[in-house]
Amino acid sequence: MPDFLEMTVDKFTFKVAGDRFYTAEGVWALVDGNRVRIGLSDFQQQRSGDVAFAEVKPTGTRLALDEEVATIETIKVNISLGSPVTGRIIEVNPAMADAPEVINLEPYEAGWMAVIEADHWKDDQARLMTPLAYLAHMKAQAEEAAKK
Amino acid sequence: MKIQPSPRKVVIVPCSGIGKTYGSVSREAAYEITQELRPEETRLVSLAMLVLGDESSRAALVDAPVLTIDGCKLACATKMVKECGGTISQDFAVLEVYRRYKQFKPQGISELNESGLQLARALAEEIATVVDVTLAETGGEKNG
Repeated sequence: MPDFLEMTVDKFTFKVAGDRFYTAEGVWALVDGNRVRIGLSDFQQQRSGDVAFAEVKPTGTRLALDEEVATIETIKVNISLGSPVTGRIIEVNPAMADAPEVINLEPYEAGWMAVIEADHWKDDQARLMTPLAYLAHMKAQAEEAAKK
Repeated sequence: MKIQPSPRKVVIVPCSGIGKTYGSVSREAAYEITQELRPEETRLVSLAMLVLGDESSRAALVDAPVLTIDGCKLACATKMVKECGGTISQDFAVLEVYRRYKQFKPQGISELNESGLQLARALAEEIATVVDVTLAETGGEKNG
């Protein structure tokens, strides 16, 4: 798997990091042991626009699968992001409060939102999309949006 | 007869931002500063006229302090002023101002909601302060 898969629709190019899993809403999950770092995909951040505010649930919060882990307000929309895993938040990126634009600038790196200690990663992983599956999902969404 | 030099003015260039809420905030702030807060000290220059190459608009940038207001990260106003050879004293991004005034969430495009207008006023007041400082630092010279 390459570091990034890429797709261009209209004048926009979207990247999909090849080392992680994705929800249909564009939340990525990068696992290290039972720790899962999460963030917003390049496609979702471009589609949503410049981030004004990002509020992530505090460290210690227990989350069920799909339960709201963060809200993001952009110049276009307000988004509620569901957790890709069941578990407990053990770290929140301080940049979310100070410089949330990092989500737009580096969605797969410095723009991460939180680290969750997963209860059952293997079970949750089975519900997530592989990079290739997300690429296809994203392509369909991007092409649909381009028609409008 | 003694000829008095024209008072120095700060040029304000907002983004066009047609169809964008933050672009509308940019324009409203520009109107507020040039028509209400500092009408004698500022001069509004249209980004569209700069893009078209209008000579008088481009001439207004020569030797004048310029403040740009951009609604999004494309920063069209800032880029265009630079391309025209203007000197930008400060560029303002609506989004950054909004982060300081979270209570004023702008909505609407052709007509901003009340919060959007309040955000535009807050931005215009920040710009007014910069206009005062800019003129104090560079006062007494002539431009446009």
